[in-house]
Amino acid sequence: MNEAVTARPIKISERGWGGGSRRKVTLGRILFGIGCLAIWQWAHARLGTEWIAGPAEILGRAAELARTGELWVHVWVTFGEALLGFLIGGSAGVLLPFLLRLSPRLTRALDPYLAAAMGVPKLSLAPLLILWFGIGLMSKVVFVGALVFFLLFFNGLAGVQSVDSRLVSMARVAGGREWVITREIVWHTALPFIFAGLKVALPRAISAAVVGEFIAAEAGLGYYINNARSMADTVGIFTGVVLVTALVIVVNGALELVQARSLAWRPVDRDMVV
Amino acid sequence: MRVVIHGLTKEYVTGKGNIRALGGVNLEVRDREFFGVIGPTGCGKTTLLNIVAGLQKPTNGSVEFVGEKRTQAMVSMVFQDAALMPWRTVDRNVPLGPEFRGDAKPMYQRVTQFFLEMVRLLDFSSAHPNELSGGMKQKVALARALANDPEVILMDEPFANLDAQTRLLLREELLRIWERDKKTVILVTHNIEEAVMLCDRIAVMSAAPGVVKNVITVDVRRPRTLKSMSDPDFVRCLEKIWDLLRYEVDKAMRENHPSADPTLQEKQSRRNYFGWW
Ligand SMILES: Nc1ncnc2c1ncn2[C@@H]1O[C@H](COP(=O)(O)OP(=O)(O)OP(=O)(O)O)[C@@H](O)[C@H]1O
Ligand SMILES: [Mg+2]
Repeated sequence: MNEAVTARPIKISERGWGGGSRRKVTLGRILFGIGCLAIWQWAHARLGTEWIAGPAEILGRAAELARTGELWVHVWVTFGEALLGFLIGGSAGVLLPFLLRLSPRLTRALDPYLAAAMGVPKLSLAPLLILWFGIGLMSKVVFVGALVFFLLFFNGLAGVQSVDSRLVSMARVAGGREWVITREIVWHTALPFIFAGLKVALPRAISAAVVGEFIAAEAGLGYYINNARSMADTVGIFTGVVLVTALVIVVNGALELVQARSLAWRPVDRDMVV
Repeated sequence: MRVVIHGLTKEYVTGKGNIRALGGVNLEVRDREFFGVIGPTGCGKTTLLNIVAGLQKPTNGSVEFVGEKRTQAMVSMVFQDAALMPWRTVDRNVPLGPEFRGDAKPMYQRVTQFFLEMVRLLDFSSAHPNELSGGMKQKVALARALANDPEVILMDEPFANLDAQTRLLLREELLRIWERDKKTVILVTHNIEEAVMLCDRIAVMSAAPGVVKNVITVDVRRPRTLKSMSDPDFVRCLEKIWDLLRYEVDKAMRENHPSADPTLQEKQSRRNYFGWW
């Protein structure tokens, strides 16, 4: 009973100082942001545009790109590559641990190979993939897919293996078939792990698409950055980086919304990063 | 439903060789009987229950359920930790059996209501397990076991993780529920008092490999309450079981903690002094 008794006062006291403290946090956040911008602006004034592009210039460039429509093309290309690779690699990475659960022996047999595959630095594969799949969409999709697959696969596997065997026994005694157990118990147990994996994998997916575009591409934010570099256009490089960051932030925000809804039962957000 | 256990043995095959957990258990649990199993740690009580529940296969021997099946399911199980699904609210944890059987939703919702009321947790229907205390969780587990509508309820140290007062309370609650609708119950416990308080008969098991050493009939009048514990019959029964058990517990301890063996201790300390040669 003691848990229930103590749980309530804590919540009340949180609300007690919560309001004022939240305002302070917001204020601090804004001040910190202004400080960063000030330092940036100062460095820009000090070193000049060729080294550090100023915030105003970047904003101006982004606005201009948006007006000509070039911005949307690049963002769309990068986002599309990341999304496609993410969907393909991600669904394979999520599904496979569930299939492997059916055969622990096969899992154990595959273990060293999976570890070795994990050890390959995926970024170094980019040139090879471009050689195989060309400079278009396909090579980036495969690249992103491979990266996301491994991240999600290992998180998913950890999740599937952390299933409480008592819950499974319980469900078996209650007459649950293997499929029901997978859906009602294994899936829910693995879900927080999968989300932890997604959180890491999403920004990486976009980075991977950008890196792929650095090497060879005809459009995309990575292409834009690389192109700017070759023309010593510092403002362009900065603008590209800012746009990539913005894309990552937007995508992460969307993920967090979904996560908050699916993991509402979890008391606190204790994220597992594998 | 009677449970007839005949010549049950279980050997676990491990990397370090075979572990003999059960060495030929014979038992007959009567219809609607509250039956206790008590024994030293590691004597195979959990193994026995798992085999009865059909979760494990015995190496030898058989478990039979004899009698007319009057209910939906054969067995329900209650574990030491409640083993609730943390992502489901209380009222979705309780109807696990009916839901998995494919019963209609309105029907099992009524069943859920009924049993949550019985364990006095109706107010917590929409709470998640992490919002409940240990005792409340265990009550939910009990409600879940009952909602499954079984002939036999298997309980593996269901109150072991609770504090002393909560344990007393839950024992009374369990007795109250059982008196209302008597089912066959097999209760594994380490607590002699608990066994005597709840059970009609108690099997005392030997240290591993477990066999049934003796079956004691508890002659304490029902309905039992906290007051029954000062009944001379109660005390006599308690002492009888402890006399049977103490030797086995002592034996199990000596086997599980080899450092208690004086010659080994001497050897080890000699090794500390002289190294490995
Ligand atoms: N899965 C397993 N693999 C190997 N050995 C096991 C396994 N499960 C149990 N054992 C062994 O079988 C014996 C009996 O175990 P069991 O859990 O049934 O004992 P118990 O009577 O329930 O003990 P306790 O009172 O401590 O719960 C022990 O020696 C244990 O080490
Ligand atoms: Mg046990």
